[in-house]
Amino acid sequence: MTEPRPWQHPFVRVEDAAAIFAAHHYVADRPLCLTTKLAFDLGKPILLEGEAGVGKTEVAKVLASALDTPLIRLQCYEGLDASSALYEWNYARQILHIRLAEADATRRVELDTAIFGPEFLFERPLLQAIRHPGPRPAVLLIDEIDRADEEFEAFLLEILSDYQITVPELGTFRAVQRPCVILTSNRTRELNDALKRRCLYLWIDYPTPDKEREILLQRVPGMDNQLAAAVTRVMQGLRAVDFYKRPGVAEALDWARALMGLEIGPLVPDVLLETAGVVLKYRDDITRLSTLDLDALLQGRVVEV
Amino acid sequence: MSAVAEPLIAHTLALCRAARAAGLPVSQARTIDVFRALAVIDWANRDDYRLALRTNLVASRADEVLFERVFAQHFGQAPATDGGDHILAHSELLRGNLDAGRSNEGHRDMLTETDTFGAEEVARRAQLAARWDADAPPLEQVIRELARRLATRPSRRNQPARHGPRIDLRRSVRRSVRHGLDLVELARVQRKTRKTRLVLLCDVSGSMDAFNPFLLQLMFGLQQALKNSRSLVFSTQLSEITAYLRRRSIAETLQEISEKVRHWSGGTDIGAALAQLNRGVLREGAARATVLIVVSDGYDNGATARITQELAMAKRQIRSLVWINPMYGASTFTVRAAGMRAALPYVDHFLPAFNGQALHVLVKGLAAIG
Repeated sequence: MTEPRPWQHPFVRVEDAAAIFAAHHYVADRPLCLTTKLAFDLGKPILLEGEAGVGKTEVAKVLASALDTPLIRLQCYEGLDASSALYEWNYARQILHIRLAEADATRRVELDTAIFGPEFLFERPLLQAIRHPGPRPAVLLIDEIDRADEEFEAFLLEILSDYQITVPELGTFRAVQRPCVILTSNRTRELNDALKRRCLYLWIDYPTPDKEREILLQRVPGMDNQLAAAVTRVMQGLRAVDFYKRPGVAEALDWARALMGLEIGPLVPDVLLETAGVVLKYRDDITRLSTLDLDALLQGRVVEV
Repeated sequence: MSAVAEPLIAHTLALCRAARAAGLPVSQARTIDVFRALAVIDWANRDDYRLALRTNLVASRADEVLFERVFAQHFGQAPATDGGDHILAHSELLRGNLDAGRSNEGHRDMLTETDTFGAEEVARRAQLAARWDADAPPLEQVIRELARRLATRPSRRNQPARHGPRIDLRRSVRRSVRHGLDLVELARVQRKTRKTRLVLLCDVSGSMDAFNPFLLQLMFGLQQALKNSRSLVFSTQLSEITAYLRRRSIAETLQEISEKVRHWSGGTDIGAALAQLNRGVLREGAARATVLIVVSDGYDNGATARITQELAMAKRQIRSLVWINPMYGASTFTVRAAGMRAALPYVDHFLPAFNGQALHVLVKGLAAIG
């Protein structure tokens, strides 16, 4: 029997990465394509930083569907601990098993090894990613890492350098195929230097007008050029205003879909005010919007108050 | 890499050195990664070459800007085309001499400093070591007290406790199994205490200079007492100093803050600092459990309306707002500063304290801050 050929990732040239992103309707610029290619070549995680809603998480989704592998997602939050990130024993099932063994003497043999078998283990995202059988690597998305505690970051460091996890009762699991790891951060705090050092870094900015229009055309079915241009103008104008939460690409897409769903003709100030809730999520911001020169905003002129 | 690429290696190493000198975190491991990356990209393409180096060498957005500047300094401005033509391969990389790179190294300091910080702020480098008062009575006690009051907010959830005020029926029944279902001993619970996160915002403008020893002590102490707290200082700009406060030695910390915070003893813009806080640190998930402590005299060069507006916003995100004002004695004071007057309606606990002693008295008099 011959050894199966080692898996060759599809991002051989930077243009391949660009083509793959384009095929999944993700408008990627050259830095992102190159970083993705390098991540696979060097086997390093990618750290994506940027404001909320600029498409950081989407990168992982696109990669997972491009590689046709599962997307394993670990959503970080304050207080996230090893048991919800790595694994946990299924206590209820273990107890049930013990009870059954009490009733049935034949089951009692090797009870202690039986109840610490893999079938009693709840795999949490990190272990799942490590145990993914391959041949194509799983995509592990560690989302909003800045929300997790710093202790968790340190813990992650260990896993990202060795790609192995030890369960004392079962032994050590080593990754068959290193997962492709994407970390995202909204940069509400600076991450640990040691963690950053292990990653390729990329800041994703709000898109340029051309890119944003392209995104709208790619992601919203049935979107016409004119509306895409109009939405882009307003979005770019809004981002220049000092809101509490500036609208991201996600909001632009939502708004474009809303406008299409409502079958609204030309964009006028009233429409903008009525649908403001799709774009701005703070009451103060919406109040602020009503004080702006909306005609100028719709025409793409600079509005400052 | 082939022998032809010898100049490429020299250039890349020179660039890595220049980047390190400019303050980027260029370690040996990262340099190695750069070369691993060069082996798999089309390095003759200027854009790819730059991006491959950038993604490996930078670790934050500020770094990115710095890197772009170092790169431009080293290889000259990028051509207008964004496709990235092969100029590197033909003219510079294969020329084999490093003169272009070397001659620029002399400008390095000017390059990294003047553009990043305003010229006047470079001149004003606070000598914090001189402002640290090693003989001051320790603030530990008062800070422990403050931390205790901050952390004792009862949670909605319970935890087992031998002498808790409430009975835990479920556990009691389970325990009673031992005694043949007679309720012999009762299991009890008490409320858990909730985790509090602290955000300390210190005014380090010129008007606060006299209180610097007190401020530094307070920042150190709180960071030590509550590990997950965040410390920021502001004058006309806002800087986070949490990481520096975690250094082992005080001297090292003071040195680093003096080095990095160039707006110490500047003007004051409380509103702008709060605005930035509202858009950054306070937007995190656990903002509801946050207690914001502002240490400021309230003398402000900015717009008072801005302070009101931003405080109103902050109040909706955090649990409570404590304001420590060192300008007034503990017993007799009147609020004169306009900024302070604007802020007062939003302040939950106003502590006019100018040193540890006064603060101790005030904190002892407080109920739990919650």
